[in-house]
Amino acid sequence: MVVAVLGLGPAPAAWALDQPKGDLANGQKTYLAAGCWQCHGRVGQGGLMTGAAPILAQARLPFAAFKRQVRNPVSDMPPYPETLLSDKDLADIYSFLQALPGRRALKEVPILND
Amino acid sequence: MSKRHSADAIGRRNFLKAATAASAALAAAAPAAAALASTPAAVGNAAPVPDIAAETMPPPADPIQQTSSGGDFMLDVLQSLGFAYVTETPASTFRGLHEAIINYGMNQQPEMLSCTHEEIAVAMAHGYAKIEGRPLLVLAQSTVGLQHASMALYNAFCDQVPVYMIVGNTVDANVRGLSFESAHSAIDPAVIVRDFVKWDDQPGSLQHFADSAVRAYNIALTPPMAPVLLSVDSELQENPIPNRAGLHIPKLARVAMPQGDLGAVAETAQQLVKAENPVIVVDRVARTPAGMARLVELAEALQCPVVDVGGRMNFPTRHPLCHTGRSGAVISQADLIVGIELNDFWGAVHTFGDRIVRRARSITKPNVRTISIGVRELYIRANFQEFQRYQEVDLAIAADGEETLPSLIEQVRRLVDAERRSAFEARGSRLAAAHQAMVGMWRNDATIGWDASPITLARLCAELYHQIKDDDWSLVGNGIRVTWPLRLWNFDQHYRWIGSSGGAGVGYNAPASLGAALANRKHGRLSVAIQGDGDLMMTPGTLWTAAHHQIPILYVMHNNRAWHQELMYVQAMSNRHGRGLERAHIGTTISEPNIDFAMMAKSMGVYSEGPISDPHALAPALTRALAVVRKGQPALVDAVVEPR
Repeated sequence: MVVAVLGLGPAPAAWALDQPKGDLANGQKTYLAAGCWQCHGRVGQGGLMTGAAPILAQARLPFAAFKRQVRNPVSDMPPYPETLLSDKDLADIYSFLQALPGRRALKEVPILND
Repeated sequence: MSKRHSADAIGRRNFLKAATAASAALAAAAPAAAALASTPAAVGNAAPVPDIAAETMPPPADPIQQTSSGGDFMLDVLQSLGFAYVTETPASTFRGLHEAIINYGMNQQPEMLSCTHEEIAVAMAHGYAKIEGRPLLVLAQSTVGLQHASMALYNAFCDQVPVYMIVGNTVDANVRGLSFESAHSAIDPAVIVRDFVKWDDQPGSLQHFADSAVRAYNIALTPPMAPVLLSVDSELQENPIPNRAGLHIPKLARVAMPQGDLGAVAETAQQLVKAENPVIVVDRVARTPAGMARLVELAEALQCPVVDVGGRMNFPTRHPLCHTGRSGAVISQADLIVGIELNDFWGAVHTFGDRIVRRARSITKPNVRTISIGVRELYIRANFQEFQRYQEVDLAIAADGEETLPSLIEQVRRLVDAERRSAFEARGSRLAAAHQAMVGMWRNDATIGWDASPITLARLCAELYHQIKDDDWSLVGNGIRVTWPLRLWNFDQHYRWIGSSGGAGVGYNAPASLGAALANRKHGRLSVAIQGDGDLMMTPGTLWTAAHHQIPILYVMHNNRAWHQELMYVQAMSNRHGRGLERAHIGTTISEPNIDFAMMAKSMGVYSEGPISDPHALAPALTRALAVVRKGQPALVDAVVEPR
């Protein structure tokens, strides 16, 4: 399941072969235009819909699995057929998400240790 | 109760109305009337001035003053029940009781709180009862007022909260005067809400009122708690009391809460001690300060994980046995699930796919044993479906959960031997480690987008907690159940959280939070609420009540400028059809223009800041607003934040 995969450990080295080199600017623009942020947040921080919407910033997920989830979701996520989101746009979104800053070191945000 | 059944007689209500109308007309038309009176020949085609003639006639023989009223006696009855406050939106049908409260009772016990909408009045009572453990009184009109109040009553009913409501009604058609008095009367006003009040009555005499008032109080406070309603005749309120000495106020009984059958409790204890992976799932267990302590005691005796659905402040969030955030993991591995006051047992043990073909799947092991303890079995209605989908269980104990816990704990302690204790300790260590890992993960997740604008919900909640953690705080509202407080805050007292609306009726959060803040005020607690924009637009007048009555509370807006859940739903519908999202905002967003909530609050006398979308500006604004709240006033910070 995508939700489970997203929460697992470091990305296997083999994933590198699978990673598209997308256009980050177009990825961000499309991520916002396609409404991905409505559930997953503008910076991929995750959120809630009927259930948890996974964190997407630096998602530890191969592109093939990412694409499969977007095209034919296993969860309640709305499907995005190619008529709504081209393969290129999808690759750009994936690259944008991989390039997001993601988590910071906790020591940089001391109030989170309250 | 005086009766004037003659069609020719001028009823007292009509007389008063006529006198009032005559005075107003006279004041407006005085100069002209004087001229007309001095020159009768000049009247010509001008309309006659009958009120002037009426004023010059001898007064009727009716009494014009009275020394007692039914309303005074009703207040005696209500004071015997100990109401500290009454919320109301004024209406003519309860003017008799209104006057009694402010003059005969000198506006003390209960003290009157003005609300700009009946929904606010009831929702305040809803929130108040969840902190105070007892109801306040709500007064409203019987037809238009009760219909305004109905949504909030439904929320309270779903949330199993006692709300004590009186509506004024004019029963006798023969004493109704102006046209609105008929529109404001009904033969059975309670029928509007009878599906979601536990009991109602329309007393026919003052003694009947006294008996029913006390009965209603007992019914509301007996689990499952729920709203009750009395429709009180306006004539009964207003007319003199023929024989006060003959009226009796019944004493209020102490109610012993229903405990679980001892045999069934013993069987539950045996199952809990024997199980390798038991889970306790709770929703509305802790209805008194003792509830959380008892649940902790049971969980620790068993070293058993607790999943808190959060209808009440049931279990401390930083307790190593709190596994709410791992509910799927612990429930799917469980060999025994005990649901205590768990309204949606089915929902706790199933996943559900909101897809074209809706599918549910049990997440439990095939041979899991299930036990429910709760009052739901004792009272259920047919029409509204808040009782959720049916979940088969092995044993259902129809009893109050909190009240049953002591005997369950005692039975468990009796059964735990050295071998089981050793196994429990090992299980507890594993659970503590999993809890700690979960909390660490949440803290790391909260750093994502820390400096982003709009502000992330994680940052909003972290910044707020950082400034209140050393106060005796109480999160009295969290409209859409933002998860970050439960992840980041240390909920360790029974008043840290009060649960949500119950019926998911929008418009609850702002007024219910204020009601809870009212109850917190005498304890000196710092009340804060995370407030959705859609919810506040349902009941914005709440802010005026907060300012007018100086109830300290900090509203921090979760302003996503949308009914965002609905936006996501429309997005899902659009994508099912492959139609794109260009129009998903239509009917789902609250923008163009953006609402200036700070200006709105300020207009009603509430200190405010915002709109704030820069995360670095949030903490200073919170500091300034909290300084106002700590001085006893309400404040609002409008934070423009990520939708979820």
